[in-house]
Amino acid sequence: MTSFDRFGVTERMIREALATALSRGGDFADLFFQHRVGSDVGLEDGAVNRAHASVELGVGVRVVRGDQTGYGYTEDLSLPALLACARTAAAIADGPARPGPVALHVAGGGPDRYPLRRGWEEVATGERVPLLAGLEARAFAADPRIRKVNVSLRSEAGTILIADSTGRIVEDRQPMTVLSLSVLAEDGGRREQNGYNVAGRAGLDFYTPERLDRVVREAVARTAILFEAGPAPAGELPVVLAAGSSGILLHEAIGHGMEADFNRKGTSIYADRIGTAIARPFVHIVDDATGAGQRGAINVDDEGNPAGRTQLVEGGVLTTFLHDAISARHYGVAPTGNGRRESYRHPPLPRMRSTYMLPGPHTRDEIVASVKRGLYCQNFSNGQVNIGAGDFTFYVKNGWLIEDGRLTRPVKDVNVIGNGPKALEQVDMVGDDLEIDEGGWTCGKDGQSVPVSQGLPTVRVARMTVGGRGP
Amino acid sequence: MTLLEISRAAARLALEAGAREAAAGAYRARQVEVGWRDGRVEKVSEATTRGLGLEVYADGRYASVSTSDLRPEALGRLAAEAVALARALAPDPHRRLPDPALYAGRPEVDLELVDPALGALDVPARRRTAEALEAAARAVPGADRIRSVTASVSDSEVESALVHTNGFEGARHGTDAWLGVEVSVQDPDGRRPEEYAASGSRFLAALESPAAVGRRAAERALARIGAVQGASAVLPLVVEARAAGRLVGFLLGPNSAAALQQRRSFLEGRLGTAVGSARLDLRDDPLLPRGFGSRLHDGEGVAARRLAIVEAGVLRHHYVDTYYGRKLGLAPTTGRPSNLLLAPGPRSPRELLREVGEGVLVTGFLGGNSNGTTGDFSLGIRGFRIRGGERAEPVGEVNVSGSHLDLWHRLSLVGDDPYPYSTLRTPTLVLDGVQVAGA
Repeated sequence: MTSFDRFGVTERMIREALATALSRGGDFADLFFQHRVGSDVGLEDGAVNRAHASVELGVGVRVVRGDQTGYGYTEDLSLPALLACARTAAAIADGPARPGPVALHVAGGGPDRYPLRRGWEEVATGERVPLLAGLEARAFAADPRIRKVNVSLRSEAGTILIADSTGRIVEDRQPMTVLSLSVLAEDGGRREQNGYNVAGRAGLDFYTPERLDRVVREAVARTAILFEAGPAPAGELPVVLAAGSSGILLHEAIGHGMEADFNRKGTSIYADRIGTAIARPFVHIVDDATGAGQRGAINVDDEGNPAGRTQLVEGGVLTTFLHDAISARHYGVAPTGNGRRESYRHPPLPRMRSTYMLPGPHTRDEIVASVKRGLYCQNFSNGQVNIGAGDFTFYVKNGWLIEDGRLTRPVKDVNVIGNGPKALEQVDMVGDDLEIDEGGWTCGKDGQSVPVSQGLPTVRVARMTVGGRGP
Repeated sequence: MTLLEISRAAARLALEAGAREAAAGAYRARQVEVGWRDGRVEKVSEATTRGLGLEVYADGRYASVSTSDLRPEALGRLAAEAVALARALAPDPHRRLPDPALYAGRPEVDLELVDPALGALDVPARRRTAEALEAAARAVPGADRIRSVTASVSDSEVESALVHTNGFEGARHGTDAWLGVEVSVQDPDGRRPEEYAASGSRFLAALESPAAVGRRAAERALARIGAVQGASAVLPLVVEARAAGRLVGFLLGPNSAAALQQRRSFLEGRLGTAVGSARLDLRDDPLLPRGFGSRLHDGEGVAARRLAIVEAGVLRHHYVDTYYGRKLGLAPTTGRPSNLLLAPGPRSPRELLREVGEGVLVTGFLGGNSNGTTGDFSLGIRGFRIRGGERAEPVGEVNVSGSHLDLWHRLSLVGDDPYPYSTLRTPTLVLDGVQVAGA
């Protein structure tokens, strides 16, 4: 019925471990079993000549009392090791024992947002090699200035099994793949490097001819334009964010600040602001686990709770925090399916999944045309936020200067800074062209990395600080 | 089985599976963390974890595998899979184990990396330390503006072994212990700025007192109240020792043989030339007693030795591992930095502020990035304006940008305060005439 065999455990072991976890009291306990087989194959200097295969197998035991967490984990899935781990986690509480579950039941009937025709464990290395070699050949053919091409293909076949002290058993199969193409070009003694990557919870058939065309086209175009690009201006300017990966704005400006742990602790700039207007009425922001095959999609979160679509901002009003089980109980609301973790080595935290803004009333052309002098941001490498002060940044790899309503000159390598609530207040135009980016975004928090997606229609922010060095 | 025995067994199994050469490394780590917030324990996490990595060289081809399953029957399967994986790939004439001559001369010194006292520490003791960290933060003047104090007391013990089938065997063993405090304060305008302080050491007894760490975190956070956006200007930057590691770190990636061979380095062709002012002096020291990056051999078994990276501004050595060294025709140094020491100067940070007069004190970076191929960078900063040689109002939402090919020539002064809690031991740095972008 379940993956018990994969983990070499029995129903009785699980019941015993949960009873031990609650042996000193505690409101709640869960076991998070994980098996993840990863494969990386890489091409460098004209040959697919490197590969890494990894196996992660382990269990994390968590005991929760109020907002306190006891945690232990082990790679040894024998009963004595499991019980030792449970005793470690149990020590967070110091009251009389509570009973563990009498019987376990499998929670079924959930969605399947990443059905696979063929799992990655069935795809031989020999089948992956031509994919990489083909991309290299096409990248070299696309521009004679290209000197180096690197391609890497990652795949993961993951299984999680969560058993909690209510007796609920939840399982999920979680595939992931990332393909990345990076090129180095040289022109008149100058060198520039850039690339493109695509990611999804999908199998080998994710790599359709159209998607592979796009990977080559984007990687080469994003590099070639750098030869024409100069530094951005320095100072406060209107900023237009292109549809797609510009969703990094939301991830940093509001997403992290809406994670309920920071609000429960009163340390977020958004704490105490639910129900208040923070943006114009045409601004709607969601965090969505349901996008079929998306990198940020999940069927259930890592606490076994169903994951759906959470409305962060509706009609400009702050509506819902992103909850894990601890914060949901703290606020007396239903969990939102945002309890996620990097692996069995970490307890879950409220995290984003796929964060994006819904389409608005303007068109891309009218947004660009409205700007006298500003920055148009296209591609990004990374971002960061100070949760409490609200200051956030994102690094623009490719962009354009806007002059008199037209894109006039490419710019590169510029950091843009804003303050979360101030920037959202200043979102004064939203396009009708929402795109969810297909890139392999990874979000870091408390030393844990999780895969996420992000998206945005074309958006104008009236003023942000552009960290360039030109006039 | 000991870690060395497990590594030997895995390497032998790889040869039996058909590999010509193999490298195997097993590790075991014990990690304990007590998290504390606003008067009580928030999290206790305790675990022992383990794993094995195996690299195989078969038929002129290379592949690597890693696993957390160290049972003997699983090792045999893993070795066979690794060899099969290598055989599915293209040959690579540059892949082989290091020349055994590089293993020779491993120093026989005690680097003092293991504190036996760690084993005697229990959770209640760590909990008392966490409580003391919070108490110290809440005892500073102005503490009524503190919204939340989060403290963390953590430690770990890591053991590992490495075996190469061409004659290398080595082991490592180290402990470390950390105190950290994050303080969130209420700004009257609604913002809740946060700051942190930390202390870490190989030895428990060498940690700063919880009182000092807690107080420093609270003082740093309270000083952020009323932060304003700085104005755009070209100004001297004084970069605090703790923050300076991020700047210096941008020189390390592009100084690797991998980056150079792949032509993604602004340091290409600059060996023996000035990449900074005469004040820039960077040494890689794997033999620093108690250092977080200290080691007797590197990850390829190469015997540790001190290495001048930059001397009086002149680039002296790249980080060269054996694989990319062969591709480039360069003699290996070491593939990975150990402890990076930036030679300190004679003056305290306070004296440096006085010397600078007008400028920006950088206490931390926010996001931003550096292009390793061209050297262009653009980084968010937070800190303070310097006016009349003193720290003045806190500033945020500002950015600095430039090129590393220019920036390090602007290094005019170096403080006497190398940051001890990192493998990047950078003192306070003064960089003249940097573009600051703000309001």
